[in-house]
Amino acid sequence: MSAQFHTSQVASLVLRRAPFLRRRISVEGKRRLLFRPMAAAAAAASGDGLKKGIAEFYDESSGIWENIWGDHMHHGFYEADSSATVAGHRAAQVRMVEEALSFAGVSDDPLKKPMRIVDVGCGIGGSSRYLAKKYGAQVQGITLSPVQAKRAQDLTMAEELADKVSFQVADALEQPFPDGQFNLVWSMESGEHMPDKEKFVRELARVAAPGGIIIIVTWCHRDLLPSEEELKPDEIKLLNKICNAYYLPKWCSAADYVHIAGSLLLQDIKRADWSDNVAPFWPAVIKSALTWGGLTSLLRSGWKTIKGALVMPLMINGYKKGLIKFTIITCRKPE
Amino acid sequence: MRLLTHNMLACNIKGVTNGYPLRLEAEKWVEKEVNFNADFLRSVFPKIEWPALVGAVRALGCHDLLPQDAPNPSALDSDDDFLRRFHRALLQLHVEEGALVCPETGRRFPISKGIPNMLLHEDEV
Repeated sequence: MSAQFHTSQVASLVLRRAPFLRRRISVEGKRRLLFRPMAAAAAAASGDGLKKGIAEFYDESSGIWENIWGDHMHHGFYEADSSATVAGHRAAQVRMVEEALSFAGVSDDPLKKPMRIVDVGCGIGGSSRYLAKKYGAQVQGITLSPVQAKRAQDLTMAEELADKVSFQVADALEQPFPDGQFNLVWSMESGEHMPDKEKFVRELARVAAPGGIIIIVTWCHRDLLPSEEELKPDEIKLLNKICNAYYLPKWCSAADYVHIAGSLLLQDIKRADWSDNVAPFWPAVIKSALTWGGLTSLLRSGWKTIKGALVMPLMINGYKKGLIKFTIITCRKPE
Repeated sequence: MRLLTHNMLACNIKGVTNGYPLRLEAEKWVEKEVNFNADFLRSVFPKIEWPALVGAVRALGCHDLLPQDAPNPSALDSDDDFLRRFHRALLQLHVEEGALVCPETGRRFPISKGIPNMLLHEDEV
């Protein structure tokens, strides 16, 4: 995470992994790259090892999360400075989905609404089913976790949405779809698992139909100042602990995402910091974990889940320090 | 895995240019009742790759379920029998166990408990 790169190494890494950025570099010449390439550092934390870790983490933890928090595996959206309760959590999680759609400008109009949607990092299908119901759309969900995919499928059949929603075990960086399939490309809190952010966004763009909307809601670290090459050592240390517990590769900033989207010639790029709107979430999760039901479930689950739970205060710490930013980035594929 | 899903999946191994449609090998498949929704069928019909759907249906042994060539879209409004067959083929036939095979490389993507596993190996990306 703390590797320092010389400019020439930086340039060659980026050129090898990112043909789209190659054009940008030749135009910008020697101008310092704002975007920190994650390629080399992430290689150690990427590949089959990371994917297996992610799959196993969710295979193990999915059930306990679902028991307490339901089928939406993402933050709730709250009014800033309010408090969250488990009772109100589902409404907040639904609100998160609605706020994201609204921010991105997704239309409800019967002629313009999305009819083919991909849920990238679909968990047990909470967003997939919600979007299918909202728009009457066809939704494909992909996840690395076979346990989640099966659970998603069972829940979908139980809700009689099997005609609209289906799930595959697949890699977001190698989506098993031909180009240009989806009017809406949805990534709700899965971006943090992607070891190669540029490839991740490139795949989202590839499967988006012309004119299609891409929505990424994800955890980022704060933007670097113009004078900074990287985060401060204590910040890196904190993120490393979180990465280790949640099977996350190296983080990037919202500015990095915007830069990537721009380099892919995506349009209407927008970003927002919703950290204040999710701040009540982690304390509520911790509280739920400390209930009798929460603790016994944790003890019955595996070490991976427990480690994930123990690291939750670090997330709160990260938010409080302004290091961790809950971010939404949306954009549109050109027609 | 429904055949609607099969119609959307492709092989993305690096360098493969002809990764669609995937050949379907079904070891175990079942028919599950799904609510009939004519509007949904009409809206999805234009997006369906017909040869891929026919190939899949035949791979399941249902040779007479769908015509070889895609009918005129007006059939969706006038031909209830066709609509029902289309509904059955697209949504009610579920492959529980089997594989999807890349037409170019022969690579097999397993289907287990109804879920296709499309993960690529390290050397395929």
